[in-house]
Amino acid sequence: MIKLFHDVLPNGIECGVAEAAGRHVVSFQVRVLAGHVNEPVDRLGLARIVEGTIDKGTPKRSAQELSDAFDDIGAVRGAGSGRETTTFTCTVLPEHLDRALELHAEMLRTPTLPSKAVEVNVELARQELTALQDDPQGLVEKHITPRAYGPVLGRHPLGEPTTLNHITRSDVEQFWKAHYHNGRIVAVFAGPVGPNAAADLLGRHFDGFGERRAQGREAQEFIFTPGRTHVIKALEQQQMAICWPGVDATHLDFPVQQVALGILSGGMSGRLFTEVREKRGLVYWVSAWQDTPRGVGMMFLGASTTPDRCDETYATMLREVDRLSEDIEDDELRRAVTGLVAAHDTRGDSTRARCVEIGNDLFFFGRPIPLEEKVAKLEAVTINDVRRYLAEHRRDQLCVLTLGPRPLSASGCVSPAAVEAAQ
Amino acid sequence: MTNNAPADDRYVVHRLANGLQVIIERMPDVRSAAAGFYVCTGARDETPEVAGVSHFLEHMMFKGTSKRSWREITIDFDAMGSSYNAYTSEDRTVYYGWVRRGDIERQIELLSDMMRSTLPPAEFGTEKNVILEEIAMAKDNLDHLAFDFLQEQVFAGHSLAWPVLGYESTVGSLQRDRMGEYMQRRYAPNNMWLVVAGNVDVPAVITVAERCCGAWKTVEDASRRTPPPVHKGVGKLVVDRFRQQIVALTFPSVSARDPRAETVAAAVQILGGDNSRFFWNIVQKGIAPRAGAHHLDYTDSGVFILYGSCEPERADALLEAMRNEASRICSEPVLEREVERVKNRRRTSLAMDAETPYCRLTQLMDDMECYGRPRTVEETLAEVETVTAKSVHEYLQAFPIDREGYLISVGPRDWPEAG
Repeated sequence: MIKLFHDVLPNGIECGVAEAAGRHVVSFQVRVLAGHVNEPVDRLGLARIVEGTIDKGTPKRSAQELSDAFDDIGAVRGAGSGRETTTFTCTVLPEHLDRALELHAEMLRTPTLPSKAVEVNVELARQELTALQDDPQGLVEKHITPRAYGPVLGRHPLGEPTTLNHITRSDVEQFWKAHYHNGRIVAVFAGPVGPNAAADLLGRHFDGFGERRAQGREAQEFIFTPGRTHVIKALEQQQMAICWPGVDATHLDFPVQQVALGILSGGMSGRLFTEVREKRGLVYWVSAWQDTPRGVGMMFLGASTTPDRCDETYATMLREVDRLSEDIEDDELRRAVTGLVAAHDTRGDSTRARCVEIGNDLFFFGRPIPLEEKVAKLEAVTINDVRRYLAEHRRDQLCVLTLGPRPLSASGCVSPAAVEAAQ
Repeated sequence: MTNNAPADDRYVVHRLANGLQVIIERMPDVRSAAAGFYVCTGARDETPEVAGVSHFLEHMMFKGTSKRSWREITIDFDAMGSSYNAYTSEDRTVYYGWVRRGDIERQIELLSDMMRSTLPPAEFGTEKNVILEEIAMAKDNLDHLAFDFLQEQVFAGHSLAWPVLGYESTVGSLQRDRMGEYMQRRYAPNNMWLVVAGNVDVPAVITVAERCCGAWKTVEDASRRTPPPVHKGVGKLVVDRFRQQIVALTFPSVSARDPRAETVAAAVQILGGDNSRFFWNIVQKGIAPRAGAHHLDYTDSGVFILYGSCEPERADALLEAMRNEASRICSEPVLEREVERVKNRRRTSLAMDAETPYCRLTQLMDDMECYGRPRTVEETLAEVETVTAKSVHEYLQAFPIDREGYLISVGPRDWPEAG
């Protein structure tokens, strides 16, 4: 039995709790509402440098001593900078929760941000940009994101070589001062911890941490640029990604979009896997997914295949999107819903997964969403809902990115109609 | 027949008359359950001319049975909302599904049916194309390329040397009847386990296993595994189109069945895990964005691997830094507090893994492979507690990593230079 709680504490922190008494570990996530969208345009990559530098020492402890202190309590930690947030996630045995949060507070509130650590992180980011050239799917993401979202939401976590070169300790400190404070912190807990205990911990360790007023909750500028782009690269396979705007995570039609994606790509019986891989053997990997920054929704299709099969793969994928509005069957709709609902039970057995889920709920909805509410919305989706959704969010303007030895055929590929005729 | 389980009523090991062992862990507090077949077969059980058959066969197992077409198999998985998949390695092929607790018997029935695939001829050519695409995809992945090259060099002359995916030539020329013959030998009940973990009704699981698998015929396969040689030397693969250089050093080590396995795992973490010597003295020195250690182990052999990736001109610096750390850990005993920190993290990880049926399923398969029986989380934890600075030191004295080893280089630079 999981009980959900939500509150804004007197110190300004927004707190969520998924209390699960029987669990043997507790997970928490401190989410700072600042990410790459908050970087100065000539300092792209800064949010990640801040995240990578913040645990490199405090007045009490050196970088290594801080890591050792976390290890002394067996903390399993993760941190990452994203478009709109920077997250610090931690799982410990329940008896170590207080100490784990105390160490996080020390790290986030009093980092020394050593110049040498900033230099090293900048250098590592520069090297990772080089490494990105060896990651075809990562490169596709880097190239399509600015076209999908525009220059702000479309920023890459690593920044650019020219902007990285400008980043100094002073930039890191300014970013930290401006964005790391209680008004931008959303803290969530999952496991054997109740709301009073969570509020007490956050009060003891975070009271007085900067500005209390809520900040960082506004949607960012979103610019979609349809068109087709090819990036030439010597590869065995051609990579491709296609996207078009959908609905954001808070939209009433979001569950409908989830179900539509489930029909398209929810399992091996999904239409893309069936038509592109199982029937035609065109690819090993094909998928559809959604990406939802605050206030924005984007539908993606992706696949990789050898160059000779690229045009047919592209056309087959689009044909399946179009066919969705024509002949959905009740069975496949039910399968898509079941897949989404069942995942709550399977992955939900993990305390850490519960913690991440409630963190996302607070980010998008400003409250934890009961499982029953999510399930009810998914189970209410009908075939007509999906048809209406598809009519209202047509894929008539596409952003297409291909990466590999050659572009798609100049004539616009094999047409979806030709693929249908060949079936 | 029930035997070989820990003295703990959460565990049951039931052996069918045909030799199939059913291993069950009850997890009454969770909402889900996972089931999987472990088949003791993989790339190392192949002959050179059919390299890749184990993996290709894994794909074909989804393509149809006497009861279901490939379409019906995937529909039945998805109708349960199963999180399912399969994978093939050098020494095992695993099929699994993770479902809500009420669906576990249906899940077992479906997986069992798949294990008796008819290898539909009409699907063979199409799936071959899928495999060839997977091979092409792997060639665009530097890590994949480097790992295959490492195996090829370190285990040269042995079946562990060839890639799990096989080669275009062997996959391209593979005939369905050869695959069928391989399947008949290797997918026998006495060469497989059915593993189940989660909120399950044990008698019901045994009943469905008996009903679905009880008629499978035992096969005595004459082919036997032999331990591989572990070579030393230098191997380089120059691939112009990549921008990074992967540098790795390998050394002979213990097998997965060795009682020192947790000690080796601690040595790996101290040298190349989170908050490790590599992290502070290589990554945080700006030499390379990635450097770590890994223990590649099989039931009869093991290799300790040090690795990193960097810009090509930094390969010398990376190698020197890795060798320095390897030398230091062998000459100066690790500190007790270093070991304690690793053990602390391990305790938390074990508690996290104990929450989810899928993680337990995976652990039970490892336990069966190494110990021939399931182990409780508490038993694993007790083994973790035996690791000390002294045991790490003794392991490194017995299997030193400050020697020549095998140096692997993969990337655009023709390095190291001859001589």
